[in-house]
Amino acid sequence: MKYSEYDIVDFLLDEFFIQWIKNPDQNNRHFWEKWIQEHPEKRGLVMQAASLIRSVKYGDDPEITDAMYVEIFENVIKTDSEKQRGSVSDGGNFSFFNLKNMVAVILIGFCATMVYLQMVASNETVISPPTEEVLITRTVPAGKRAIVTLADGSKVFLNAESELIYPKQQSPDQRWVQLKGEAFFEVEKEKRPFKVLTDYSEIAVLGTAFNVKEAHQELSVALVSGKVHVKDREGNQYDLAPLEMLTVDKAGKASKSGFDVLAVTGWKDRILVFQDDDLEQVIKKLEHWYGVDLDFSGEVSATWNYSGTYHNENLENVLKGISLTSGLDYRLEKGKVFLYNRNK
Amino acid sequence: MKPHTQEAQAPSLSATTSNYNDSFLSFQAKTDEEIWMALNKGNELAFNYLYRTLVAPMYRYGCQISKDKGLVKDCIQNIFIQLRKKRGTLSEVHNCKAYLFSCLKHEIFRRMKELRGEHLEMMTQEDGFPICLSHEAILIQKEQECEKVKKIQEALDQLTGRQRQALLLLYTEGMSYQEIARVMEFSEVKSARKLVYRALSSLRQILKY
Repeated sequence: MKYSEYDIVDFLLDEFFIQWIKNPDQNNRHFWEKWIQEHPEKRGLVMQAASLIRSVKYGDDPEITDAMYVEIFENVIKTDSEKQRGSVSDGGNFSFFNLKNMVAVILIGFCATMVYLQMVASNETVISPPTEEVLITRTVPAGKRAIVTLADGSKVFLNAESELIYPKQQSPDQRWVQLKGEAFFEVEKEKRPFKVLTDYSEIAVLGTAFNVKEAHQELSVALVSGKVHVKDREGNQYDLAPLEMLTVDKAGKASKSGFDVLAVTGWKDRILVFQDDDLEQVIKKLEHWYGVDLDFSGEVSATWNYSGTYHNENLENVLKGISLTSGLDYRLEKGKVFLYNRNK
Repeated sequence: MKPHTQEAQAPSLSATTSNYNDSFLSFQAKTDEEIWMALNKGNELAFNYLYRTLVAPMYRYGCQISKDKGLVKDCIQNIFIQLRKKRGTLSEVHNCKAYLFSCLKHEIFRRMKELRGEHLEMMTQEDGFPICLSHEAILIQKEQECEKVKKIQEALDQLTGRQRQALLLLYTEGMSYQEIARVMEFSEVKSARKLVYRALSSLRQILKY
């Protein structure tokens, strides 16, 4: 059976699909992201299956304590070295110290592992750049976009009216950038965590692709692949899974939803997307995208909306496209756009 | 592990941790067969890696089979002691986690038999392995979704312990059907898939609505 004929139970049974949710890697990620783009009508079903898979947890979930962890290990090693001393008989104090060392090593290792595993979920979030650090600031005005490649190879697509501050050299134990506005991140996977600091929030990742936008104290984080951990200004923490979007509004109310990959991240590939946008949204997008002032006169009906996708088009062509279907006309004058009702 | 202990530990250890992370990562990239072979040859790092990555999941799995946490702990200890003792003569293992889960299950049954006699063996398998749907992970956008989650939860409670075990191994432990077959002692992989299929079939009506 083809994936396009799958119902929810088929997805829930499919090993390749489950692997993508549980252990995403380049192969399955590439496949499923492409597949969903090809089958947008199946996205709801896929999201539903994914969230069910993720929500299955042990009802009885006892955690092993540090004390128990060390005790078991110590007993295992002790039993082993006693046995060896019996046969080799040159152990003495040396093997005692050896044992202590081993326990210390494994304890350090355990802590390191836990720190490593919880890095993205860590509560410790103080970031204080060392004083000698050279910081680079990249500012993008309205109408422009930019791509910044960081020292570690991570790529940042900066949208119009945004600013990115980052250290020229990232420190050996962490990577960070500071963002105002909107950016799409393709973070190189490595063991150093990568943090995106915004005015009010903080996003921690290891290696992944996601979109961050913070404007007027409203935050939205949309995850395309991998895993991110978000801490909002109230200190609330959220984990996001692929194709989930977190929105935190001005009042601090958070919600998770799915999102349309093209509509949210299309800008990085120079795709301007209008999706059932009302007039105000259309005007805002045009001003932001082309860095122009737009003047509207006249009126449109309350149900007026516009949908359209433009790949790398100039302003005039987009205005033509809009006027073709919307009943509006336009005039370009001295870098200013006038938009008005055709019949008035 | 609690956050404050992490804070206390992390700075003073930072010089040494990177080494251990290196070895941790180097094993992470290896296949299970390679790790097992290294263990068999007496490689301490391989032993440490297995202990570090699997002792917590083993403990959680063991606690589903026996409520006696002390007994589970003893059994895990015993398994690792045996592993060290038999280095050099260990038989081939393709999947460490599935293998050790299966060892642990047998060890727990063996100890339970010793303690309480033969007849109690399978008791915990049928009502054990409770599943709890995590609300955090589920996207609840509408009121009716909430109702649906409740219904799924009820249906999960109605499944047999073996069905729930298979779902937990598949979704929570991230095991393949082959590994599940290994842990649950099916001679054929498709039996594991069938078990999951039956469990999901009883959810189908709720899920589709």
